Amino acid sequence: MFIIITYDVGEKRVGKVCKKLRKYLDWTQNSVFEGEITQGKLKQCLAELDRIVDYDVDSIYLYQVANPKNIKKIVYGHEKSDIDLFL
Amino acid sequence: MLRDHYVFSNGRLNRKHNTIYYTDDQQKQTPLPVEKIRNLHVFGEVDLNTKLLNYVSQFDICLHIYNYYGFYAGTYYPREKTSVSGFLIIKQAEHYSDRHRRVYLASRFLEGGVHHMLRNLRRHKVENEESMYLIQKEYNKSQEALDIQTLMGHEGVIRKHYYQAFAQMLKQDFSFERREKRPPRDPLNALFSFGNTLMYRTVLSEIYRTTLNPTISYLHEPSTKRFSLSLDIAEIFKPLVVDQVILSLINRKTITKKHFDVLDHEICFLNDEGKKRFIRAWEDRLETTVKHRQLKRNTSYRYLVRLECYKLIKHLLGDDVYKPLKAWW
Repeated sequence: MFIIITYDVGEKRVGKVCKKLRKYLDWTQNSVFEGEITQGKLKQCLAELDRIVDYDVDSIYLYQVANPKNIKKIVYGHEKSDIDLFL
Repeated sequence: MLRDHYVFSNGRLNRKHNTIYYTDDQQKQTPLPVEKIRNLHVFGEVDLNTKLLNYVSQFDICLHIYNYYGFYAGTYYPREKTSVSGFLIIKQAEHYSDRHRRVYLASRFLEGGVHHMLRNLRRHKVENEESMYLIQKEYNKSQEALDIQTLMGHEGVIRKHYYQAFAQMLKQDFSFERREKRPPRDPLNALFSFGNTLMYRTVLSEIYRTTLNPTISYLHEPSTKRFSLSLDIAEIFKPLVVDQVILSLINRKTITKKHFDVLDHEICFLNDEGKKRFIRAWEDRLETTVKHRQLKRNTSYRYLVRLECYKLIKHLLGDDVYKPLKAWW
């Protein structure tokens, strides 16, 4: 399953959410992460976010794509991070 | 889903923010999602500390180290979580010491290898009929072998015929007379050496994830200093994966002569760009899936290696008779 997560959280929690997501997904842009993930790991990730985020004021949007082949990503302008096998 | 990362530049790997960060020599930091890593391959000069090794162990990530010329040097692999089984080791050793049982397993590995070699040659049937016949004949002879030395002798002859035929399938002008290792002297030998290295450590990472002991082997003589069981299992997969990757890289001209460096007019090896191209094709190939007949689901080539280990375990425990993988697609 391919997912895109975007988040809009209080200033104090931005860093925490970002760090947590870095464990599971590839960073795309500010407040945006993407990548392939299993159901189990996604649950785990969301549970961990649950402890950080205050759902009264914050929101996390999760976009799921069941078939990763259906994704077409086009980048206009400067690509902030290119995800590569090689370092 | 999980992926391998290849570090070619010089830098530092460390644990930061509960994930892994890589800092290259320009001080540029790249975060790597720790939950998405299967293996880390270190080709460059990289600093790391025990904190990282500790962290990596928690996530079952193997750390493979290669030397300057891209040859495999060693692996750091997590001990904690991988289950160990003394019972299986004893069974493994029993099958090694019993000559008949050992020859059975050894010739099964050879059987799988030969099947895939012939499969490769069959795709270029016109040029290779003669070699296919010779290989088949030699293989039939090998099935009567009663000890490992004779079997290895037959294997050598089969390989010789195979490599001769292999050279005819190439659409680029690579001179190739015979297989030379230690050191590889021409581009094609360098490709084989590099590909086989990748194969061995792929098999090894899969063996580590089972309870098999990688030092007790059957076709190859188990000795000190090497994980010979991975050589055994790789025997089946080398023609299926390595040789096909090499063929497609050369015939599509993805890799040409400019991707090789020569040292002292003697040792030929892939340069960084060549390695990257090879590895990219390699990773693509391993992620290719086929529909498994018994499991009734799509399995990647990488997982087929793991299944091969499980089949071997079943054989050793006496649950099932081991039959090598024979590509049916």
